[in-house]
Amino acid sequence: MIRRFRLGVTARMLIVLVALGLAVFPIYWMFTTALTSDADLFGSQPRLVPDFSQFGVFIEAVTEGRTLRWLLNSTVVATGTTLLALLLGIPLGYALSRFSFWGKAGLALLLLFTQMLPEALLVVPLFSLFRRFDLLDSLPGLVLANTAFVLPIVALILKGAIDGVPRELEEAGRVDGARPLGVLLRINLPLIAPTIAAAAVIAFFHAWNEYVFAVTFIFSREIQPASVGLAGFVGEQGTALQTIMAVAFLFTLPAVVFYLFAQKYVVGGMTAGAVKG
Amino acid sequence: MFLAPAALYIIVFQVIPLLQEIYLSFTRTTLLNPTRSEWVGLANYAHVFSSASFRQTLLTTGVYVVACVVGAVGVGLLVALLLNGKFPGRGVARALITVPWAAPGIATALIAVWMLNPQYGIVTRILRALGVPVGAGGVLDDPAWALPAILATTVWQLFPFVCVVILSALQSVPAELIEAAEMDGAGRLWTFRVVTWQVIKPTVGLLALLMTIWSLRRFELIWLMTRGGPLGSTRTLVIDLYAEAFDAQRLGTAAAIGMVGVLISLIVIAGSRFVGRAAERTPR
Repeated sequence: MIRRFRLGVTARMLIVLVALGLAVFPIYWMFTTALTSDADLFGSQPRLVPDFSQFGVFIEAVTEGRTLRWLLNSTVVATGTTLLALLLGIPLGYALSRFSFWGKAGLALLLLFTQMLPEALLVVPLFSLFRRFDLLDSLPGLVLANTAFVLPIVALILKGAIDGVPRELEEAGRVDGARPLGVLLRINLPLIAPTIAAAAVIAFFHAWNEYVFAVTFIFSREIQPASVGLAGFVGEQGTALQTIMAVAFLFTLPAVVFYLFAQKYVVGGMTAGAVKG
Repeated sequence: MFLAPAALYIIVFQVIPLLQEIYLSFTRTTLLNPTRSEWVGLANYAHVFSSASFRQTLLTTGVYVVACVVGAVGVGLLVALLLNGKFPGRGVARALITVPWAAPGIATALIAVWMLNPQYGIVTRILRALGVPVGAGGVLDDPAWALPAILATTVWQLFPFVCVVILSALQSVPAELIEAAEMDGAGRLWTFRVVTWQVIKPTVGLLALLMTIWSLRRFELIWLMTRGGPLGSTRTLVIDLYAEAFDAQRLGTAAAIGMVGVLISLIVIAGSRFVGRAAERTPR
């Protein structure tokens, strides 16, 4: 009986290891491919471990070409999107949680509905809107478009968190003479700080990874974000595969590392916001 | 006061564009000359529904969405159950499993294309070593294999989210109940059915709904891996819509395709609500 149990645990561990291996392997392979010499890359046997003598690829990828500029553009877009989404989303989440007003149910439904609209659908009307207001081919325009897509999820996540703040605390603040904005800023915000952080991470990486708007709205090479720059490598001749993989890895790394640190809050926020809606 | 800025924002950037898109679907409009549009009524819809390629698109979308949902929820649930036990390094394992979900779609598409490279890709090499006949163009060039390859990549991307959400739902399964069931001599499967499954069922249902909506929307992975080809074998609704708008520059037909997609999403959501309610009413 005990013997059978032990075997069960070992088998289980093995399956877990295989599952984890499959999950992580493509990222590992990105890194390994970047660090492989041409001879090994196109040899008869694939090289399975990184060749660290090739590390110059990463240095070249950063110093030459447009990689740094791409990553910088992505950072600007993602930061702008995060700030704007929080600036609009926190008050909206607060209003949805605390006030009753005409059309509230409709608004909540609208927020859920917008979550299922594909970017590809709205890209055409936004394209003509942006053309009229001269927002095409500009990073602020991209920020505006991305914010539209993360605002609903940010607001829903924050609504959920504010729902959890006891009303008595707010009333105590109101007795002390604080206005609604003061109550929100001084009482609610500190209490829901972890959820705000989660919402910020979600907004940041949505914009960091976003591709459809970026590829449609940005034409100039100088302001391409990394997603568009990287996608341009597909089918392009002349750029070494190692460089492409090095840039892809540099683009992936911050997203993964950030998620690993913020995982607890992000998962909590995503479940609350997306699943419960 | 709190509401106005965000509500206005959503109206300007989502509601008005959506209304415009609905209007466009009844017109003949080109991308180069969007101001000169001509009202054509239901002609775009008639055109779309009468074309054989659109029927293939619908079929491809259906296969893609169903396989994504089954794959992502199935794999995610299985891995979550495996990770739920106590074992050394569990924290690390749970963190590592989220990696695919955190990886940007563009990077995922790039590495997938390289791993499936017809000559030197590691997956191609493994398949050939196993004796699978992979054509000279590789799997992405083969109408029979391109969709499965994209499906595998999508499931790889999506299952960690399912896994992590189910793991958190599993926290609320009362340990006493499982122990009690095991004391009564119930086997593993039976215990799962009567205890665990009952607790996580609503979560699994919501995840299935979420995966349906997400895979209906999925764009960049397919676009970068195959652009809908070969021979339209991976052309889903969203790909069709984007290609129609920006390659063929027919905004009206593109909008009509988009509307079909939105309608499908709405039907799925309404249907899931209905099924959910019916399931609640059915006594077990």
